[in-house]
Amino acid sequence: MSRLILAGVLLAFSVPALAGSFAGSSAGASSAGSSASSDSSSGDDKIVVQAREDAASFVASDGRIRGAQLEAALRHLRETDQAARRASDMQLAQAILAR
Amino acid sequence: MHLRRPRGRRIAALLLWAWLGPVATATALEIDPTHLAADDIAATQGLVDDVLPRLPRAWRDGLPAGLVLEWRDGLPAHVAGRRVGDRILLPRRLLEAWRARDAVATEDEPLRAVRHALVHELAHAYDRAQRNALSGDPRLRDLAGWQRSAFAIAGRRSRNDFVVRTPDPYELRRPSEFVAVNLEHFVLDPAYACRRPALHRHFSAHFGVPVSTQACAPGLPFLDVDAEAGEAALLALDPARVYEVDYLLAEGNTQAMSRWGHSMLRLVVCAPGRMPGPECRLDLAHHRVLSFRAFVGDVQISGWRGLTGSYPSRLFLLPLDQVIEEYTRVELRGLQSMPLRLQKHEIASLLERAAQLHWSYDGRYYFIGNNCAVETWKLLHDGVPRLADASLASITPTGLLRKLEREGIADRRPLADADEARRLGYYFEPASARYEALFAVAREALALPQRDAAAWLALSPGERARWLPQADLKASAALLVLENAAQRRQQLLLRDELKRRYLGHAVPDDAAAALEALKAWLGDTSFVSRPAELAGGGYGLPQSAERGRIVAEARARVARLRDQDASMRRDLERWLPGDQREALRGIEANLETIGARLRTLASDAS
Repeated sequence: MSRLILAGVLLAFSVPALAGSFAGSSAGASSAGSSASSDSSSGDDKIVVQAREDAASFVASDGRIRGAQLEAALRHLRETDQAARRASDMQLAQAILAR
Repeated sequence: MHLRRPRGRRIAALLLWAWLGPVATATALEIDPTHLAADDIAATQGLVDDVLPRLPRAWRDGLPAGLVLEWRDGLPAHVAGRRVGDRILLPRRLLEAWRARDAVATEDEPLRAVRHALVHELAHAYDRAQRNALSGDPRLRDLAGWQRSAFAIAGRRSRNDFVVRTPDPYELRRPSEFVAVNLEHFVLDPAYACRRPALHRHFSAHFGVPVSTQACAPGLPFLDVDAEAGEAALLALDPARVYEVDYLLAEGNTQAMSRWGHSMLRLVVCAPGRMPGPECRLDLAHHRVLSFRAFVGDVQISGWRGLTGSYPSRLFLLPLDQVIEEYTRVELRGLQSMPLRLQKHEIASLLERAAQLHWSYDGRYYFIGNNCAVETWKLLHDGVPRLADASLASITPTGLLRKLEREGIADRRPLADADEARRLGYYFEPASARYEALFAVAREALALPQRDAAAWLALSPGERARWLPQADLKASAALLVLENAAQRRQQLLLRDELKRRYLGHAVPDDAAAALEALKAWLGDTSFVSRPAELAGGGYGLPQSAERGRIVAEARARVARLRDQDASMRRDLERWLPGDQREALRGIEANLETIGARLRTLASDAS
């Protein structure tokens, strides 16, 4: 592998979090804003996206593996959505996977 | 002439007199009349009468007797004032500036310089006469940034790393200069209470004057970088919204640099609209983590660099979700989160200290002497006076945790019940702890021939692909987690290999252009670790005008990073070796397959 290739690949992987995220991110360009509290970037979608791995583990293990990010998403869905209040934990976890 | 004032006003005047004291200029500070014309003397008296009443009474009373002010020619050009014995020497040019002052414009620069010079010397005179009551005070030195060493025998460190956003770099010379410079601003700058609130309170308490109620920009400012989403915003953190602060320990693994684990602090920030209370514990999306590290996107530190101290140590505010991702899913390390027993006002002063570090501190990382545990201990020590009295210093994250527990500060009880700890976010297990259980689900459903998760992940993405379309809901969910693991592992392997090879050799000419692009990229990301870059001028905590600038500047830089990133991604596709490109593409295709299958199966099921 030539040096140029090395350097080129390094560009994208040496700063993985920032690099990895700026690509592929669908967030709008207006993201850098001032916020009075910490709610600037934590919409519904984000809470549900963060819970995806926990939800998958929960569904695969028949509810035995129960992580905090799933717990947070379940509570959030029930706080904000009438229908979610009537659904079981498993139904909501499946709904998170179905997104 | 009125002989009698209204009674109320008389009392008010009396109180004012008692508060400020008689303006006893003649006794507190005499003027040396040598070589001064009558109007020079009058102007000098005007200066003394302008400055002395601004000082707190305790300060004026504490000045040594027989202090004389003298204008002197021939002081070096950079010297704004000097004190020899009981004489305060100010450069003659300042007298000219003072005499030329515009009676209308009260805030012009020369005028400011004269006042600052005189207050500076009066601060020295007071501090010296009071046997260094201010500059020798351990609490003052904590706040100023001459921090304690983790080794008790070493006392305080001689260097002060609070070098960014200083009002005057001269303050870093020694504690007595720090006191003099800061008292200038304490007396003359109405924004001092907002920019250095802890020091303002310290001086106010010392002199027995009320803390200024001047309106400051709301909240404690932090640059809030969400690397996963590629966003950078300015967070104005209200300490009242922080229900608890946890000691957050990333467990060690077999890597040399992470064997001891990593110390952080987790801020349990309540979601908007929620009353601060235990319910906030699950507002994970709003929780933030204070972590000392070198760069935002790299938790691994090379041992060699750590030992030679060439890594910076800076305080980042990170989203908890990002920290969970980095440690439990990329590095496969568990996170333990133990609440600290702190009072409300202690949380507030701790966060205020953290904000001060975030904008002003540029430390150096040392593997033993100044690692994450030492930094976290210093933050607790300097941010919460009560904790300074506890014996907590430790050079390892687990050692610090043990001491916090022994002193009754950290509460480990929520971790006693493992299932509840995982469910409620007191423990985040490494993703690898789930792999075998999840693989067993997939193996049973699909009759997979592989023995365990490791064997499954060792297959090429193409070999895994042929099983995916037959998986049922549970098996697909299990395979999703495993395929994500494969993707992270592949990216990590590639990155570490490239870093190792890249850092180990001189870069030849044909890579110069790429290297320039890399430098430009790193230059553009540097604002993340040095947020002060965004603010332009000003000192201490950024106030309203600077905050507007920070927001605009962060927005511009993020937009530039996005542009660069897109083109770098395109280049990357070309530069990747064939087999690695194929592996990454294969994993992406597998994730597509699993995702589509989950959408179908899960919609049917629910």
